[in-house]
Order: sequence, then C-alpha cells, then structure tokens
Amino acid sequence: MPEFLSFLSIDYGTIILVLINTFILFMVIKHFLFGRVNKILEERQADVKNTYEEADKSMAHARELETNYNELLASAKDESAEIVKNATKKAQVRSDEIISNARTEASNLISRANDDIAHEKQRAMSEMKNEISSIAMMMAEKIIQKEINRKDHEALINDFIENVGDDVWQQK
Amino acid sequence: MGLKEVVVNGPKVSFEIFGLKVTETVVLSWVVMAVIIGLVLFMTHNMSKTNPSKKQIVAEWIVQTVNGMVKDSMGARNLHYAPYMATIFSFSIFGSLISVLGLRPVTGDFSTTLAWALITFVMIQYAKIKNDGIVGYITGFAKPIALLTPINVISELATPVSMSIRHFGNVASGIVITQLLYYALTSLSTALGLSFPVFTLGIPAVLSVYFDLFTGFMQAFIFTMLTMAYVGSAYPEE
Repeated sequence: MPEFLSFLSIDYGTIILVLINTFILFMVIKHFLFGRVNKILEERQADVKNTYEEADKSMAHARELETNYNELLASAKDESAEIVKNATKKAQVRSDEIISNARTEASNLISRANDDIAHEKQRAMSEMKNEISSIAMMMAEKIIQKEINRKDHEALINDFIENVGDDVWQQK
Repeated sequence: MGLKEVVVNGPKVSFEIFGLKVTETVVLSWVVMAVIIGLVLFMTHNMSKTNPSKKQIVAEWIVQTVNGMVKDSMGARNLHYAPYMATIFSFSIFGSLISVLGLRPVTGDFSTTLAWALITFVMIQYAKIKNDGIVGYITGFAKPIALLTPINVISELATPVSMSIRHFGNVASGIVITQLLYYALTSLSTALGLSFPVFTLGIPAVLSVYFDLFTGFMQAFIFTMLTMAYVGSAYPEE
C-alpha cells in the first residue's frame, strides 16, 4: 500500500527539493538559454552597428572623393580655358608680329627698289651726259677738221661712218 | 465493478532517503526539468549569428519576449530577473501540462507553489531592503500611519499565501474535478451494465483542454506576472 501525503499538505522536504530543483533549472536556463541567446543577439547587434558604421564611413569617404574630383575637374576646366586663352593670345601676337615684319620688309624692299631705280636713273643720266658731251666733242672735232681740211671732207665722212659701231664709240 | 467512493489523495511518496520522503511531485519535477533542459540544450545547440535555424529562432523569440516583458513591468535595470521569470514560467506550465499524460501535476501540490511563492516573497523583501535600507524597510510598514502597521505586515505576508494558494487551488481543483468526472462516468457505465467504462474515453479530454491546458497556461502566466509586478514595484520609479 503506497503512502500518500494529504491533499492539502505542507511538506518541508518537498519544499526544499522544489527549491533546489528550481535553482538548478534557473542556472541551466540562465546559462544555456539566456546566456547563449543574449550573446548571439548582442553579437548580431554589434555586427549590425558595425555594418552601419562602416557604410556611413564609406559614404563619407565617397562624398569626400566626389568633392575632390569635382574640384579637380573645375580647376582642370579653368586651366584648359586659361591655356586656350594664352595660346590664342600668343598666336595673335605672333601673327601681328609676322604681319608687321612682312610690312616692314615689303616697305624696305619698295624703298630699296626706289633707290635702285633712282640710282640707275642717275647713272644713266650721267652716262648719257658723258656720251652726249663726247659725241659733241667728236662732232666739234670733225667739224673743226673739216674746216681745216676741206680736201679731207670726203675722208672725214667716211671715217665717221666707219667709226660708228666701233668699240671706241661704244665704250666711251 | 465500479468505484465505491471518490478518493482524492495528495502526492504519493515515491521513496524515502535518509528519512526524507521524496514524493511524486519531486520525481515528476525532475522529469519536467529534464524535458525543459533537453529543450533548452536542443534549441541553443549550434547557434549561428548570421544563419539561425528554426529552433534558434524559437529560442531567440522566447528570450526576447521574456526580456521585453521584464523590461516593461520591472524596468530595464531589472533585466537580470528575466532568466528566473522564464524558469518559473516554464517550470509551472510544464509542471501543470504533464496532467495531460495522466500524471499528477507538479503544481497540484501546495508545497511546490508555496516554495515558488516563498522565492517571490524573499525577492520582494530583498528588493525593498536593498532600496530603502534596513531602517527604511522596517519603518515602511508604519506608513502612511503607525496604526496601519499590523495590516501592512499581514498584507505583506498574504502575498505569498495568496499566490501559492491561487496556483495550487486552480490546478488541484482540476485534479478533483477530473477524478469526480471519472467516478461519475464509470458509475454511469456500470449503471448501464457496460463492462467497459466507454464514457471515460472521450468526455474527459474536452474538460482536460480547459483544466490542463488553459488553467495550466493561465496560472503559470499569472504567477509569473504577479512575481514581476510585486518585485518590480519594490523598486522605486525610474
């Protein structure tokens, strides 16, 4: 016949054993359920936080790079515009120089040609003068010879005709 | 054939060791513990941070739910009470639910619920002494006027008594009613001349849904919520 406790009884042995059981179960639940799960949850939360932080950091870095590139791009644009401007200016200066050079040269050439012409003219004039004077002298000589020597008149004409085209004539 | 009278016993003494009577309640509480510990170890085995399995999700849900309830009713600084609340809730609910298997519920023994209520009582007193100091704790009983001191003391002592008797009474009444029902249904079968008590097959199961499942869950929940509320209120407002 098994022994039963009364339906509504306070059994100290049972109370103590239940307390011990509850404590053991508490330790297991605290360690193996809450300990493990809380650790995982915390780690996951830390991971999420890290991921967000890293994403923020990358974003900030990307923004920084973007501004840098934009600045570089703007300065490059300015620089290229400057270069083009400078080159245009230089080319303008150069072309002006070339044109002015050409103008001076041309005017030089013209003045020199004018000089040459004047010179030639003068020379021709002086040559002509010489020639004319020598011709006059020769004519005077011939005339004088004719008057002096009438008899030689025939010979004088012949001589004159003969001398025309001679080297003596042309050289003088 | 048939039962002559209804006998509702207390827990059976399973064995005696050094004069200590180890009852059915204690033996079955070991079974319950083994089941809970097995479940805990199973759920938290091989947990993964990035790729949780279904059992891990259940474990995380349990922990987060209990943490959330403790945080709501006791404040975030008392979060360390959460494992105890989970312990008492799971122990209570599984201790009641074994009646579904035809075993005597662990919580149907007044000694069990009294033990738990005593833990709650000690927790309340500890929290009060810790927060008010020993002098503040003692003079606290004379507030708001000294005349109320006896009533305050009684009310303080009534807390574990009412908690333990509520839990025990609800579960134990289920045992009594089930026994009565079996008696009645067996008698009915006998009166109809049936050699086998057919009525005991399906009808008790319907009542068992209320007395075992619903009451077991409700009482575990109430006991845990009351413990959280009492201990939480022993701390000053945050």
